[in-house]
Amino acid sequence: MPKKILLINGDQDLTAALKLYIERQQYDVTCVTTFEAVLQKLAKDIWDILLVDPFFNDEMVSCLEVIKKNCPHVQIIVLAQRDKLDTAMDIFESNVIHYLEIPINSKALDLALIAASKNILRNRKFDRYSERLSALHGTQDLLNQLFEEVPCYISVQDRNFRITAANRKFRQHFGNQVGGQCFEIYKYRTSQCHDCPVAETFQDGESHSTEEIVTSKFGKQYNVLTRTAPIRNEKGEITQVMEMSTNITQIRQLQDHLVSLGLMLGSMSHGVKGMLTALDGGVYQLETGLEKKDNNRVLKASEQIKTMANKIKNMVLEILYYAKSRELQYEEMRVDTLAENVVSSVKSMAEKYDINLDISIPKNLGKIDIDPKWMEASLINFLENAVDACVSDRDKKDHHITFQVSKNSKNQICFAITDNGIGMDTETKNKMFTLFFTSKGSQGTGLGLFIAYRVIEYHGGTVEVESEPGKGSQFYISLPLHKPDNIKNVEFPMANS
Amino acid sequence: MKKKILVIDDDLNIRDYLVSLFNDNGYDAYVAKDGKEGFKVAKETIPDLITLDIEMPGEWGPRLYRQLSQDSHLKNIPVIVISGLSGHQYAVVKAVASLSKPFDRDELLKIVKQTLT
Repeated sequence: MPKKILLINGDQDLTAALKLYIERQQYDVTCVTTFEAVLQKLAKDIWDILLVDPFFNDEMVSCLEVIKKNCPHVQIIVLAQRDKLDTAMDIFESNVIHYLEIPINSKALDLALIAASKNILRNRKFDRYSERLSALHGTQDLLNQLFEEVPCYISVQDRNFRITAANRKFRQHFGNQVGGQCFEIYKYRTSQCHDCPVAETFQDGESHSTEEIVTSKFGKQYNVLTRTAPIRNEKGEITQVMEMSTNITQIRQLQDHLVSLGLMLGSMSHGVKGMLTALDGGVYQLETGLEKKDNNRVLKASEQIKTMANKIKNMVLEILYYAKSRELQYEEMRVDTLAENVVSSVKSMAEKYDINLDISIPKNLGKIDIDPKWMEASLINFLENAVDACVSDRDKKDHHITFQVSKNSKNQICFAITDNGIGMDTETKNKMFTLFFTSKGSQGTGLGLFIAYRVIEYHGGTVEVESEPGKGSQFYISLPLHKPDNIKNVEFPMANS
Repeated sequence: MKKKILVIDDDLNIRDYLVSLFNDNGYDAYVAKDGKEGFKVAKETIPDLITLDIEMPGEWGPRLYRQLSQDSHLKNIPVIVISGLSGHQYAVVKAVASLSKPFDRDELLKIVKQTLT
C-alpha cells in the first residue's frame, strides 16, 4: 500500500510541482493550500507523512504540535524558506525528521522521504511487536489464572518428586510447599509411594490415574482422584510432570454409606433365606395340622411361626436401626462394667493366639454416660485391632496387650491400649480411621476402626495414637463422663453389633 | 414299600418342615444335622434320595457329597441341594436339582416324585 502524504503549502505552484514529483515515486499525495482544508483532512484521514510549510498560516505551528502529540507516528518533514529554517528547528527540534530549504533540492527530498518511509516501517514493526507482547502477557495472565483457580489440587513435579509449582487450592490445603517432595507433603511419607503415577508418566509419557488418600496440613484426610500429564521441553523430553488431584471425599463418604449397607444386607441374606424357609415350614405345618385335625402339629406350627415372625421382625428392625441416622441412646453405665464387658469379648481371641492380656480396671471410676451397645463395639474393635497387630507380627516371640482404664486430670475416662505387635508407619497411622483403608490385605474390611473412631468422636471423645513400625502401638481413648451438649447425630451404619 | 428320603440341614425348623412334608406325601423321612451325621445315617438307612443343605456347621454339604460319591453303596443316591447360599447351584454339580431357600413346596415334591419313579 502506498504511503499517504499530506502536502501542506500556501504556494500553489510549488505544491503542484512537488505533488507531481513525489507521485512519480509511488506515494499517494494529497495537497492542501488553506488551513481550513488542513483541519478537514487531518480530521478525516490518517496520514503517514506530513510535508508541511509551518509558516504558511499563523496557526500552523501550534496545529503541528497538537498533531505530533496525538499521532506520534506521523512523520513530519518541514519545508521552509532559508530565513525561517532556524526558527522551525527551534520550535520543532527532533519532532521533525527533516528540514528542507525552499527551493527544494530534489535529492534532499528523496532522502527525507526514504528516511520517513523507514521510520514508518520500523514503527509498524514495533507496533506489531508490542501488540503481540501484550497479547502474550494477556495469555500468560489467563493461563496463570486458570492454573491458580482450577478447583483441584495441581502440582508440578520434577524427577525427584520435588514440587516446582502448586496452585492456590493446593497451597491452601497442603501449605506453600514448593521445593518439598510430593510424598512428604501429601502423605507424610519418607519415601516414594508404590505405584506412583508421576513416576510412571516420567517413564512412558502417558497420563496415569490413581486414587489416593492424602493428609492436609490441618491433618484432615481426603480421598483424591489423581491424574498426571507430562510437561516436555523443546526437544520433546519430559522435564516435569503435572499432577492434578480431585477431591472426591464426599462422593466416597456417600458410597461408603451405601456399600456398608450393602455389605450388611449381603451378609444377612443367608440368614433371611433360612428364616423364610422355616416360616414357610410353619405355615405348612399349620395348614396340614388343621386339615388332619392334629392339635399337636397346629400348636407346634403356631409356636414356630411366632418364633420366626419374631426373628424376622428383629432382623428387619436391626437393618432399619443401622441404616437410619439416629441419635445415640445414652445410658448411665459403670465404667468398670463397660471395661469388663469389653475385655470378656476379646479374652478368648487373645488366648487363642497366646497373647498375654494385662488388664487394669479400678473399681472406683464411677459411672459414665454412653450408648453402651456402640461404645462396647467400638472398644472391642480397638482391642481386636491390637490382637491383629500382635498376630501379624512374626518377629517377636511373646506378645502382650495392656488395657488400662483410668481417670485423667480433665475428669475424663481414659482407656489406654498398648500392644507390642507389628506397629504402623506414618502413612498407616494417618489413614487408619479412614473408611475402607486396611493394612490387613484381604483379612480386613477397612470398616472396623473407621466405625470405632466415629463412635468415640460422636461421644465427644478423642483418640490419640503412637506407633512405631516393628515395636507396637498405643491408643489413648479419652471420653467425657457426661453427654456433651453439642452431640452430633450419627449418620453411618454399623456393620455389626 | 415307602421310599426313604434323608433330610440333611442344620436348621431344626427346616428339618421338621421337610420331614412333615415328605411323610405327608407318602415317603419315609430321616434326618441329620450336618455332613458327618448325614453320612452315618445314610450308611445305616441307604436312602433313595437325599436333600442336602450346603452351609452347615461342622461338615458342610459338598464334602459329604464327595464322601457319598466315593462310597460304593451310596454313590448312586440322587441328591437335591436346598440352600440359601448364593451360588449353591455350583456347589454340587451332579445334584439332580438345586433349590434356593425359601423353596417352592410343589416344585420340590414334583422333583422328588420324578426322581423316585
